Amino acid sequence: MAETKEPAGPPVTLTEPIEMSKLDVKFREEIHSMPNGEELSACFACSTCTAACPIANIWKYKPHQLIRMILLGMRDEVLSSDEIWLCLTCFQCQERCPQKVRVTDIFFDCKNLAAEEGKIPANIIGLAKELLEKGQLYTVTADWEREDMGLEPEVPGLSVDALKNILKETRTNKIVDSGE
Amino acid sequence: MSNPVLVIGAGVAGMTAAVELADSGIKAILVERKETVGGNALDLYKAFPTDDCFYCFEGNRWRPGIRKCFYRSALIDQPNITLKMNSEIDEISGAPGQFKVKLTKGPEYIHPRKCTMCGLCLEKSKAFHLLSPQCQPQAVVFNPEKTDDGAKQAEEECPTKAINLNAQPVEETIQVSDIIIATGYHELQPINVDEYKYGKYPNIITQLELAKIIDPNSDSGGVLVRPSDGKPAKRVMMVQCVGSRDENYYPYCSKICCIFALKHASILTQERDDVRVSVVYMDIRTYERYERYYRRSRESGVEFLRGRVSLVQPREDDTLDITVYDSLLNKYLKFTVDLFVLSSALEPPEGMDKLIETLGIKSASGFVAAADPASEDEVVIGDHIYACGTALGPAEVPESVTQARAVVSKILQSRK
Repeated sequence: MAETKEPAGPPVTLTEPIEMSKLDVKFREEIHSMPNGEELSACFACSTCTAACPIANIWKYKPHQLIRMILLGMRDEVLSSDEIWLCLTCFQCQERCPQKVRVTDIFFDCKNLAAEEGKIPANIIGLAKELLEKGQLYTVTADWEREDMGLEPEVPGLSVDALKNILKETRTNKIVDSGE
Repeated sequence: MSNPVLVIGAGVAGMTAAVELADSGIKAILVERKETVGGNALDLYKAFPTDDCFYCFEGNRWRPGIRKCFYRSALIDQPNITLKMNSEIDEISGAPGQFKVKLTKGPEYIHPRKCTMCGLCLEKSKAFHLLSPQCQPQAVVFNPEKTDDGAKQAEEECPTKAINLNAQPVEETIQVSDIIIATGYHELQPINVDEYKYGKYPNIITQLELAKIIDPNSDSGGVLVRPSDGKPAKRVMMVQCVGSRDENYYPYCSKICCIFALKHASILTQERDDVRVSVVYMDIRTYERYERYYRRSRESGVEFLRGRVSLVQPREDDTLDITVYDSLLNKYLKFTVDLFVLSSALEPPEGMDKLIETLGIKSASGFVAAADPASEDEVVIGDHIYACGTALGPAEVPESVTQARAVVSKILQSRK
């Protein structure tokens, strides 16, 4: 559709509609062409994903709304949303989806796109930094728990050095560098 | 071309086809797997679109006979119909027009013409029971697994000598010119759709199970009760598209569940005391004449919730806490209900795949498919093979009847 000129004067209605011509129509294809996006357009907006989500009640945009936003081309809103990062990746939405839309995986795709554009929340960068420095996200500290269960104090075979070396060569390192 | 026509399945479609053929002077052999004819429709209290018995549609009004019973009495009295109950098709061979069909007819413990349903045997032994006062053949049925001395006594004392406990299954081979597949459907038992917890708690049921509860012939006499304790149920929630329109189960729309649910919701709110019904839907599909049904049920106070069920949690008193995500409101709603009714998908009946393979015909999502999908002859399945009713996929009663008549018309034309 051709872009129309902004009408002069006050708006005709007070609903403040989203101007469709300003949305990114390519965004849908962009996600669609990514590894998990094949079934994206099969979505028939039943909202099963949102019903399945254990934490969407605190989300501004619910999972089915994010899918809808992708389909409409609301690229900036989706990629700068907190929700794609808040996702627990429990895969309940994807499991229940009657049209086999890979909802959780599509959010991973969105995270990757957002990361490429440097749109990563600070706490996520913090986690990446932790991973780079320690080679693990959760350090085993509560030794008494292991003792209670009759396990040896140290996690056997745990070697974080190799992982640290690998991570230095990955995008995780670049993200931390650029994020700082 | 004087060979009889084989009709597989004595539900709405099969009975209609057999009776219409017989009335036109063509012999029909009607084979039914179960002990009574009527199929799934036997369990329905009222049928849409008229909320009346499905044999009382306008086109049948001129017929003599009483409500719900005409076709079934014709099955015994029409000389052109041979009814074979408890029977299974074993093999089909031969060329089109001269099919050789091998079938096994189950043991005829009770002679359907001799039995007067006097009830004497029912008092003597638990091995005998009456399926329904409207069952057809009009006879009691016998369960050999429950044989006892009372059963033998009943055999001796039966006033019409209708009982033969030594009856054996009979194998026979018949020759038929045409085959009509009217095998119907089966309602999916949605145990695998985890989130609804069907099969885990007694008050989570399917629409067909609800139909049986509210039928005036039911144990409760048509009162809406909870299966858990038989106490009246006041709060009902229904959920649509369970296993239908779902790529993980059946990709097709089961077509009748919306109207099925609206019918039940209307019956419950209008004819039962203090029953509140909520329907959780993602799309309501009330095609053709059914939009009025939808409007009427809204007027009668049925609550419609656009969204999906989030969580089902049972409580100690067998009621259920149900959280629903309302996608229009963008809020989660919590309900406590006595009954949770799943509008479950219609699936092909057991043995359908074998029949399709034996006859070498086409299949669509497990149902029988037309030989030429592009043609208007949707009931023509192959050379001298026809299908009608839900054997072709989900269909309402009027559609099944129309298709059955179309099949009869095709057969009559071929014999001109």
